[in-house]
Amino acid sequence: MIVKPGELTGNIRREADVAIIGSGAGGGPIAKELAEAGYSVVVLEEGGYFTREDFDFRPGQAFMRLYRDAGQTATVGLPVIIVPQGKTVGGTTTVNSGTCLRVPRHVLKRWHLECGLRDLEEDELNLLYAALEEYLFVKRADPEVVGENNLLFLRTAEKLGYSGGFLPRNAKDCEGYGVCAYGCPSGAKQSVDVSFIPDAVRAGADVYTRCRVERIVVRGGKVTGVRGHFLDPRSGRRTFRMGVDAPVVVLAGGAFQTPSLLLHNRICLSSGRVGENLSIHPCGATMALMDEPLGNPRGIPQSAYVDDFAPEGIMLEGVTLPPAIMAMTLPWGGRRHAEAMCMYSRIGTFGSMISEHDSSGRVVAGPSARQPLAFYNMGRGDVERLKRSVLLMAEVWFAAGARRVYTPLEGFKELAGARDLGRLARTRLRRAGIYGLSAYHPMGTCAMGGDPHNSVVRSSGETWEVENLFICDASVLPTSLGVNPQLTIMALAVRAAGFIDDRLSEGSIDTRNASRLDRLRNRLRREKESTIVQ
Amino acid sequence: MRAYFARRLRLLAPIFIEPVEGLPPADPEGVVEFNREFLRAGTPAFRLLYYAMILVLQALCLATRGKSLYSLPPDEADRFIQSLYSHRVSALGAVPAVLGTVIYMSHYNRDDLQALLGFDVAAMREEAAQRGVQR
Repeated sequence: MIVKPGELTGNIRREADVAIIGSGAGGGPIAKELAEAGYSVVVLEEGGYFTREDFDFRPGQAFMRLYRDAGQTATVGLPVIIVPQGKTVGGTTTVNSGTCLRVPRHVLKRWHLECGLRDLEEDELNLLYAALEEYLFVKRADPEVVGENNLLFLRTAEKLGYSGGFLPRNAKDCEGYGVCAYGCPSGAKQSVDVSFIPDAVRAGADVYTRCRVERIVVRGGKVTGVRGHFLDPRSGRRTFRMGVDAPVVVLAGGAFQTPSLLLHNRICLSSGRVGENLSIHPCGATMALMDEPLGNPRGIPQSAYVDDFAPEGIMLEGVTLPPAIMAMTLPWGGRRHAEAMCMYSRIGTFGSMISEHDSSGRVVAGPSARQPLAFYNMGRGDVERLKRSVLLMAEVWFAAGARRVYTPLEGFKELAGARDLGRLARTRLRRAGIYGLSAYHPMGTCAMGGDPHNSVVRSSGETWEVENLFICDASVLPTSLGVNPQLTIMALAVRAAGFIDDRLSEGSIDTRNASRLDRLRNRLRREKESTIVQ
Repeated sequence: MRAYFARRLRLLAPIFIEPVEGLPPADPEGVVEFNREFLRAGTPAFRLLYYAMILVLQALCLATRGKSLYSLPPDEADRFIQSLYSHRVSALGAVPAVLGTVIYMSHYNRDDLQALLGFDVAAMREEAAQRGVQR
């Protein structure tokens, strides 16, 4: 069952086989896997539970209900980057665009060679990806519903000779309402709140919402449970206490909250890597004033991509903005702003995502466990990559017939044509002169690795220092992924669920056990056969 | 939100949201109400920054124009805001940008306004309610 704060009458203390903190891309799949394997599972989620009936197409309300700190989380450093994160059942998957990409082969190779993760085998990951893609109805965005904005950009990029296509997404019968980031109002997007969590609950898992975990109980080097409080939805103040005694605890709160919890509890700190190694995939966006309306924001916001520059660390991905968000993003105020908004339907948008090479970031414990501080500075090379991505997008927009292109770069807020592009190309940007950047993929702050001296968790997801304490969220990804991470987080979570199953049933984990892959293959085959029979 | 800042926001709303033909004018009460909720739901740091920006904006106007922002004629107030947005010192550009972020979100979050811009929220809400995709 899913328990809401209004249903509580007092403190809760209970026992379970597994306590999971967080219900997003990491927590949801683990809850489902273990509940279906017959274990008693308790999920503790800090956010509220909302269904598609609650998603009302209003970005402002969505920020306040579904996002941590109303979407105001930002990094400290240059440039300032907004990092919105979901805080609701389903985590960020409830408010993301649904893009499902596998880990690029060169990244996995790097994990093998540089991070000591050779037992993270490509074959095993591919099996997990395939099973997840089937479960989540992952398929390429339907060109019929991607929207004119994305179609126009993609077609023009292809005419210029750049490779691209439609992104694979976890959506079933999507009609392209254009508001993925504010909760899917039709339930088409197969985010964790409509897929893994309902299945976990059907299998017996209990999900407690508005519950914040503050303490991880460790005795004799083993985790034994968690303690926290329920929160009043309106004031955010603590109400009743919550305690779960469990032999296995899974942290799945994301790359900001998970290290913060470890730092506040002073556990797993001997490697000195908790909170370090933050990468976020900084994102820039361009807007283009076209002659014809583009039907904004109808269409799948993130449905097209251009990956010609992925080897350089630049991925271009579609984005469309409802009026309230475009209004926030325009680089002017007053009359000029109002005049631009009158042309809303003629303004095209597209985004870029940078896979970091020389930026650096870390998460440190803030004044409270709830509000960690994230420091992040973009490196010179990544600033150049961002500039290049803006130039590429502007080139495509002008080739598509744009009259003006608006960018997030000081001194180049408005580009009128080739001459401005040349001027921008020759300019060395100041980090302080980049504004309005955002990032949606914080990761790496509890990195997985093969060496306990420079990583926080093993390849199984279990921490090196505390037995039976697992971490399954974006914080374990050891390097910048270069693509949207949700599918990889889910794959690693399902993999970790197998190890937890081993631990609870047999008392040991062997990540190099060759029969694991066979068992996984057999299990997936059995599941597929039973689905076909049904 | 303290009454002082609520009063200032009421005055700032029509300066940031210039009236244009075809779109409804600013609703200062709505802007204040949205800001109140949005700031309460957010981080203390952003809340402090936001209030500080109101004070800085007022001080900058006094320092550069010699008058209170709220006593400037609409055209001059608009020119002042634009000059900050395009200022070569990024920190000065951030002053109206931070304030404008929430003011504009609250204004363009309105159903009637979004419908006028071609995003008919009510119709889409109804359509989505009827569809209801099942797994």
